[in-house]
Amino acid sequence: MNVAAVESWIEAPLRRYVDDARARLAVLLHPSGQVMAQAGFTRDVDVMAACALAAAAHATSGELGRRLDGRAFRGVHYAGAARQLFLSALELPRGTFVCLTVFDETSSLGLVRLYFEEMRRELVAATPAAVASRVAPMLAADFETELNRNLAALFSGPRGEAVIS
Amino acid sequence: MMSSLRGVVERLSRHRGVRASLIVSENDGLVVDSSLRFGEDGERVAALAASIYRKARLSAGAAHLGAVSFLQLDADEGRLCAVGRDDLVLVVVAEPSANVGLIRVELFKALETLA
Repeated sequence: MNVAAVESWIEAPLRRYVDDARARLAVLLHPSGQVMAQAGFTRDVDVMAACALAAAAHATSGELGRRLDGRAFRGVHYAGAARQLFLSALELPRGTFVCLTVFDETSSLGLVRLYFEEMRRELVAATPAAVASRVAPMLAADFETELNRNLAALFSGPRGEAVIS
Repeated sequence: MMSSLRGVVERLSRHRGVRASLIVSENDGLVVDSSLRFGEDGERVAALAASIYRKARLSAGAAHLGAVSFLQLDADEGRLCAVGRDDLVLVVVAEPSANVGLIRVELFKALETLA
């Protein structure tokens, strides 16, 4: 499976996670929707859409959790006919990230949750000291520039071109 | 139903050498009910045991061997035994010295109570 990360310390834990959990797709993003890493996607437009929708779903479920349970829900699971998704926040030294994982009948929610926790521990351990401080909130004016830069880092080909390693 | 599931795992856990007994959803790999000795990670056992059982069931089917009746995995530090019906898998994690014959009989008896 092709795995690419904007910052190299994310790549190995994400690769191990998708291999162990037998995930079909995974994307790690900032809650604002900025992509940090992806696994299994072949087109940047798909990553962009997945990040935007995952960020929205994370914000929605977080607010629902706060209203119903007094705090944000940690994870959300949707089961489709053939594919399922697991969306969960990751608390790292650098701040909160969101991970969207898509899997099918070759895996299970139990396996995904098990290896998700292992990835979280690996990412905490792998976070470089230089980037461990919390990042400043993304400004709306910088959002598109940052988004395009991150997508370019993940997909070396022209926009929309399939890149498979 | 929940009280009968609790009774099943508690009866299995009373046997000598049994470290954990669980009822697991095969498709989700999640714990339905469990009785665990201190230190056992039920969620980990459930996810991995359900995955092994599912693979064994699919492999047996693909090899035209019929349904899986009993699954046993022996490792240096312990053994895992499982039986299943529909989406439920009954799992026992036991010491290497545990009496597998007895565990097997008890698992089949427990499976009957889940029918």
